[in-house]
Amino acid sequence: MERARAGDRTAFEELVRRHADRLYAVVRRFVADAEEAEEVTQEAFLRAWRGIGRFQGRSQFFTWLYRIGINEAKRRADRRPPLGVVSSIEERPMDDAPDWSDAPEFRAEQADLRTALENAVRSLPPDYRAPLVLRDVEGLSTSEAAEILELGEAAFKSRLHRARLAVRRALDEYFLEAAES
Amino acid sequence: MIRKRLARRRFVREHRFTQDHMSQYVDGELAVEERSRVEEHVGVCPQCRRVFATLKRTMESLRGLASEPRPALSDGIIDRLRHP
Repeated sequence: MERARAGDRTAFEELVRRHADRLYAVVRRFVADAEEAEEVTQEAFLRAWRGIGRFQGRSQFFTWLYRIGINEAKRRADRRPPLGVVSSIEERPMDDAPDWSDAPEFRAEQADLRTALENAVRSLPPDYRAPLVLRDVEGLSTSEAAEILELGEAAFKSRLHRARLAVRRALDEYFLEAAES
Repeated sequence: MIRKRLARRRFVREHRFTQDHMSQYVDGELAVEERSRVEEHVGVCPQCRRVFATLKRTMESLRGLASEPRPALSDGIIDRLRHP
């Protein structure tokens, strides 16, 4: 990292190899398709390289890099109309929904269910999607993810919880529809 | 009558607390006393039991949403760095 900060391009290329796939995976949750995700990922690295002298080193490189990539991806996501699977970020549990926690679809890793889950994540407002993607999909710690998003831990946890409940509710609807058909 | 009303009020308070703290419970971020409150309420509230079980299942499933790897991605970025 120190060599990269001093302008050593070979050292920076090593950082690209280390972080590109994971940044791409995060960005992909916000933009329209794989090509746009590649474009945003590439742009994030180019900006990081151009601004590497400004990187203070107080945080880890990847939190700084992710912040650049996610801000750009969220900016693009904000311009698109929402998907509409998650009807509201407010959770109102449905009394008549089945308990699907032990549904066979999970054991079979059914493609329909995966699509429903993907759509539920994608339809979250970007400010709620980001905590969920970083923490639950990518497995970062609460403090790492909160730092990337420049949120206090309490605010981060609150958004994460509401995002999880909204995705859970979307799966309620998926299983209700599946039961009716 | 009063006892019933107090019990109802307590139930509503614990219901809200449980619904607000389920994520932190699953993430292991609650103090022992708070964990006990959640567990006690989930034990007596079928709705919270269902939400809790399905929330845990949702979180487990999210972990499985890995993206397809992009083998040439790093090479493309490095190429742009070398030839801006």
